[in-house]
Amino acid sequence: MCLLTFLGTVSFTAKAVDVIVHSTVSESNITKSQLRRIYTMRQTQWSNGHHIIVFVLPKQHPLHQRFSKERLQIFPYQLERIWNKLTYSGLGVAPVVKSTPEALINAVMKTPGAIGYTETVVDKGAVNVIKIKE
Amino acid sequence: MSSRLKNNLHRIKMRMPVLLSMVFASLTIGGYCQGKDLQVHGFAAQGIINVNGSNYVNDDGGLSAELTEIGLNASYILTPALRLAGQMVYLDGGNRYDDGVRVDYALLDWSAYNDENWQVNLYLGRYKNYHWLYSSTRDIPFARPSVVLPQSVYFDGFRDISVGADGGALKISHSSDTLGDFDFNMSTGSSSISKEQTQIILGKLALGKMKHTYDLQTSLYWQPLLSSWSFGLTLLDGVFEYQAAEQKDKFIDADITLQLVIANMLYEGERWEFSGELLQMRSIFDGLYFENFRQDSISQGLYVQSRYKVNTDFRLLARYERFYANKDDKNGHFLEETSQGLTPRYFGYQHDATFGFSYDFAENLRLQFEYHYIEGTARLTPVVLPNPAINDNENWQLWAMHLMYWF
Repeated sequence: MCLLTFLGTVSFTAKAVDVIVHSTVSESNITKSQLRRIYTMRQTQWSNGHHIIVFVLPKQHPLHQRFSKERLQIFPYQLERIWNKLTYSGLGVAPVVKSTPEALINAVMKTPGAIGYTETVVDKGAVNVIKIKE
Repeated sequence: MSSRLKNNLHRIKMRMPVLLSMVFASLTIGGYCQGKDLQVHGFAAQGIINVNGSNYVNDDGGLSAELTEIGLNASYILTPALRLAGQMVYLDGGNRYDDGVRVDYALLDWSAYNDENWQVNLYLGRYKNYHWLYSSTRDIPFARPSVVLPQSVYFDGFRDISVGADGGALKISHSSDTLGDFDFNMSTGSSSISKEQTQIILGKLALGKMKHTYDLQTSLYWQPLLSSWSFGLTLLDGVFEYQAAEQKDKFIDADITLQLVIANMLYEGERWEFSGELLQMRSIFDGLYFENFRQDSISQGLYVQSRYKVNTDFRLLARYERFYANKDDKNGHFLEETSQGLTPRYFGYQHDATFGFSYDFAENLRLQFEYHYIEGTARLTPVVLPNPAINDNENWQLWAMHLMYWF
């Protein structure tokens, strides 16, 4: 419940953060809970059984901070802890980090099963924007 | 320049090539090995630690550079359901644990079942202990809250036998859209115990071999939906066997049983974080000193910890912890009496007040500092036959400064 409090800090001038997937991903919408599960690595396959490849920006990147707070409702440091625990204890794998938003879009475009986020989608044919339901 | 300072500088100088190699390796392979199938990560940390009044790090006191942690890991996805993962580490903590290179984990991860709400994974090989709040990352400098973890739970003397094991582990994760996230973990296996580790537990007079014959551990974690709180409970049952050396051993054959219950909670807010763990451990010794000797006692520990994020780079830490070696002898008088005065009463407890901070100079570069004021010596090694000749102070202090890099 406390995680909801930072919703009030969202800037009205900022563009919305869109969630994008590779064009072969069949889902056109997912729930907010499902998005959280994917980014906390608790769901690793799409409904058709294909592996989910998660892409993110560096932890200090403003867009990553916004995505984490607005879309996932998780503080960025919590995400980092979950990923570090998986990575350095052998329990699982962390998302693949891309250094710029352009590189992230490019990676999602080229990788079957990929999911990522962006502020602006220039070419809607290259990636799919999926709707996030409550 | 004193010989101690020279030794410490020499120690750091000797490790610089390794540390620099890590940085170079990270820059070189970082770009190539962070793909969807193969991921390579690592860390390197060097610090200085100064203990005043105990042999926690070294026997003669003073500043020490025995605070080194280096690790390199890789994860490779073989098929959508199978993955290989492994990590090598080099650790040096002085008297805290056996120093050297070791395989931290090396496992095959089978994703046995996976859907939108359930994940079932089976790990075979050498797995990490992931049952306690910080057990799976206790050797990862930037993923634990302090340089020295609360000794009531994360006792360095038991590090090698509690950090992981060779065997199998099961993890079942369930995400409910109404109740939140549940994780059930179970593991069974055994760890190899070196001669040094045997002597860390029993003392230098132990010349025989200790074996870890049985270990079963389970844990359950729950994070309510969209909550900042999470709760965990762990149960452990472990059996060890001591085979005395045929000659000159001061001990005889023994069976040692440890049964542990740990409850923990964690709150993660935007700036404040609170965590705590409550431990109760039953220790049963059969043999060891003489035929038909039996000792059955219960130790208890507790710590509460708070971290405050001043900003994204700067964090403050405060922690208080209490530990009693025997819950029925909290002030240690019975211990002193039964040892005929050889073991002072302050070996019956250990309480620690800790303050510290950390600062991130860059995304993956952190400096951590902390100070501990400690009352009692119950969590110093050796455990079974304590060393009051060196540890002749009830109150002692330590400070540590640790520089760490990871990729």
